[in-house]
Amino acid sequence: MIAKALFLRPVLRRPARFFATVLGVAAGVAAVVATLASSRAAVDSLQNAVLDLSGATALEITRAGGLDESEMSRLAPLAEDAWIAPVVETLALCPKLKDGVRVLGIDPLVDARLRDLGPALSERFGGPTGALVFSSLLRGDGAFVPEPLAKVLGLDVGASLELVVAGKPVSLQVLAIVPAPPGTTAFDRTIVVDVALAEELAATPGRIDRIELVPRAGVTTQELLERASALVSPGVAVAAPRNRAVERAGLVRSLDFNLTALSGISLIVGAVLVATTLATSVVQRRPTIALLTSLGASRGQIVRSILLEALALGLLGGVLGVGLGYGGAQLLASSMHATVSTIVWTAPVTRIHLSFDHALIGIVLGVVSALVAAVLPVVEGARTPPIQALKGEAPAFLGARERRIALAVTIVLMFTAVELTRWPAWNGLPVAALLSAFALLAALLPVFAPAIDALGRAVGLLRKAPVPLRLACAALSAGRRRAAWGAGAVAVAVALSIAIASLVTSFRDSVIDWTAQSLRSDIVVRPLAGGSGLPVGLLDPAILDVVGETLTAADLDPTTRVDPYLAARAQFAGQSVTIAGSALRVLYERGGTALLDGEDPTPALKQALEQHEALVNEAGAQRFGWKVGDQIELDARGYKIVRRVAGIVRDYADSAGIVIVDVEDFRAWFPDERPRTIGIHGIPPDRIAAVQASIEDALSPAFHVDVLDNARMRAHVLSVFDQTFAITRALQSVAAIVAVIAVLSVLYALVSERRADLALLSAVGAGARQIAGVVCLQAGLLGLLGALGGVLCGLVIGVVVVKVVNLQSFGWTLAFVQPWSTMISTLFVVAIACTVSGLLPARAALSARPGMALREE
Amino acid sequence: MEVNAGEMVALVGPSGCGKSTLLNLLSGVDRADEGTVVVCGIDLQSATPDEFLRLRRSCVGIVFQSFHLVPHLTLEENVALPLALAGRRDPKRVLELLERVGLDGRRDHFPSELSGGEQQRTAVARALVHRPAIVLADEPTGNLDSHNGAEVLALLDELRVENGAALVLATHDERIAQRAHRIVRITDGAIVPT
Repeated sequence: MIAKALFLRPVLRRPARFFATVLGVAAGVAAVVATLASSRAAVDSLQNAVLDLSGATALEITRAGGLDESEMSRLAPLAEDAWIAPVVETLALCPKLKDGVRVLGIDPLVDARLRDLGPALSERFGGPTGALVFSSLLRGDGAFVPEPLAKVLGLDVGASLELVVAGKPVSLQVLAIVPAPPGTTAFDRTIVVDVALAEELAATPGRIDRIELVPRAGVTTQELLERASALVSPGVAVAAPRNRAVERAGLVRSLDFNLTALSGISLIVGAVLVATTLATSVVQRRPTIALLTSLGASRGQIVRSILLEALALGLLGGVLGVGLGYGGAQLLASSMHATVSTIVWTAPVTRIHLSFDHALIGIVLGVVSALVAAVLPVVEGARTPPIQALKGEAPAFLGARERRIALAVTIVLMFTAVELTRWPAWNGLPVAALLSAFALLAALLPVFAPAIDALGRAVGLLRKAPVPLRLACAALSAGRRRAAWGAGAVAVAVALSIAIASLVTSFRDSVIDWTAQSLRSDIVVRPLAGGSGLPVGLLDPAILDVVGETLTAADLDPTTRVDPYLAARAQFAGQSVTIAGSALRVLYERGGTALLDGEDPTPALKQALEQHEALVNEAGAQRFGWKVGDQIELDARGYKIVRRVAGIVRDYADSAGIVIVDVEDFRAWFPDERPRTIGIHGIPPDRIAAVQASIEDALSPAFHVDVLDNARMRAHVLSVFDQTFAITRALQSVAAIVAVIAVLSVLYALVSERRADLALLSAVGAGARQIAGVVCLQAGLLGLLGALGGVLCGLVIGVVVVKVVNLQSFGWTLAFVQPWSTMISTLFVVAIACTVSGLLPARAALSARPGMALREE
Repeated sequence: MEVNAGEMVALVGPSGCGKSTLLNLLSGVDRADEGTVVVCGIDLQSATPDEFLRLRRSCVGIVFQSFHLVPHLTLEENVALPLALAGRRDPKRVLELLERVGLDGRRDHFPSELSGGEQQRTAVARALVHRPAIVLADEPTGNLDSHNGAEVLALLDELRVENGAALVLATHDERIAQRAHRIVRITDGAIVPT
């Protein structure tokens, strides 16, 4: 009967109110599920880029910078134990697709045993001799094209597939169209060629990326690992493909962690929203609870009934929230893929999958938040004598003790937050710093009840204050607890937005400053860019010759102007880093690098050039503790490279370690490595356009590359930067939606509670517009208070994120910049959005008959 | 002040004198700052939550001035509510009381579909359904017109007799008070000796 009185019957008689509460719970859950699912999809996308292509491979043999083909002959004794397959991977731009594709070079004689590709083809072409069919198809300049790609490009067997590899146009004949494995995989954007052709395209004759092993019958992976490890050259690693997948996913470890942290913040916003919705829903029925108590209902009976309602709300809201969150994640997918693509090329399209654990997290969040939120008003109700609730809530200002407690809690949480920022990263992750951000958010919440109280007192003292303002403030003061929850939910959402905006603004300003100091070349030659705006692949070495000849023809000495940038993978203390070659002489003479300490880079460049030393990037210095004067020892392609650190440079292009040496030294170790970009410095300003045109003419039609002037290059850098933060912007929208729902939920409750007051206003002559004005004013004040608190808190969290979280995650020092325009626009937009959202509950208030409301009272 | 079984006592006094407070103390929905309140042998100053439950479930029935029916329950369910809260069912008794208050034909209606007089008659039935030893009525006719007021009062009195319950009734209407066995006058929070 109690459940019927408090819960079941009200749901049946006023389903809209119940489902509005369910929707509030669902919005909170959806925010969390959307963030979690997007984040997981990003990491899966990167891991699958490796695992999809590895097929049945049990082990793979790799070395930083690649393997010499002779490594295959060292493995000859394994022929009885395993299938041994060499693999070469390179990137190509598909102009028709306007995006990059992966070119996978394999040995067709053995590869049919390794990958899903073989069985699929043998099935298509019939017969048990799949491998033979497979090998006969791969010949000359031919390629297997995956069905999804063929469909997009409109290709049939025998057609030509046009690609640009290392700046050179290449035409490959389509030998077969490979049926796609189910779902979206890395195969969808991978074309398969013979390993010899791949080596030719990659211009790495005699060098392969890895050797894959599949144990034959009777041989275990462990046995194979032991035998292979004994045979390979020093510095060559034998490991499962999953290790490379994990390493690749590690590239986005910080992104993943920070997105998970954002999920945590969404979780707080969600929990606050769920709590607000539930608390208001329960409080609205406080008189009924009091009546039941006075008629003999025990505390247990009341609590059980309310918890039953909370359980139903939490379950329904959780399930609906999981669905909405999944839908939201689908909307975020393109932003997420844009972000991931700027980190790792050829990651397959980010597919959102609704996993069981995310669904469970969502539903548990809904239920637990609902139960916790319901318990709070129940406990409060149990402490209140029934007579008080029967008489209705008596509006009273907060006592000095309550104000002191709120202040003390806030101060303690703020001190905790400050202390946590001093803690170092845990296992390379900014755990304490993010806890500090949580503590700051928590410190904000106790402030609102006293703030609303103070507003009520202040306006009460202003005898000349407009009547609607005084009425609105009085109503907020009377429903102070609900109002504080609502303002808190708005504040958390706003704080999240402002913190993200602080990070993006600070980062963007730092990148602009950095590009001004470091991107000093007048002209840049680079591979054509794909969909993400990043260049695809490398440059043919012949391009460097063409550029040199063009400059010479223009009476400009290329030796003091051309700066090719080359890079190779290396290892430092067992971890992957980049060793880069750059023309230090050109940088020394023309400028084009910025030291972290802001000092003139000339002495460091001179020393690096003359003493064969190196420059390192800030991220590497943070991660590995490199300091000026330290000796660094790297392993790359069998070499032990030892360099002394001459300087630490600012760099926002890579969060892994980079060691920059002079290009001549680099070429001695990596003679076949091709340039990533070519910078051309020291062109007289009035000749830049002419030289750029000459280079374009000289490279055309043999090469398809981008020849950009300095301004366009900087614009490209900023465009890629903006893409990197696409996901964070999308999350800001989620926070805004949650804030509006929170305000609406609280307002409905406040209007419902003060229905008699509004009816009284109507009875004494207030017009519909005046009543709507009072309700909207309440909404606007609530939004403004929340937004003000959120902006201030968000700024402080922004400082923590920029100065501590970012440094500990990525190793980049950024100057903190206040996002003034976002702060001001957020204040206005939230206040206006909340005021306008007040129209809905105002409409509900106006639709109630005053006589009925007064009689009920 | 003492109230005996079957006795009808009227608490009389001007508004704000303390009539409702005294009734709230007797029903256990409020607690006295000082003094002693004993109802059905339970000392309400030192009563445990279980004793309060026993008081409300078996000893006391309450009629409020503003009815306080549960809006989402039907009349029948509202009347049955005290029994249901105590884990009991007695549909016959509920129907019998609804017949006695003349609302058996509207037992499936919700409170909002009834007039004030009908709502208060339902509240009277609810106050008596669990056969309480004492019925506390706070200005039971205060929100009703004279016709409905007289009807409700007559009902209360009849049912008191039928059920052998004591009735303590707060009113500022002398005519109503005159129907009681005993009148207790209250002024400024104190009983005036007679």
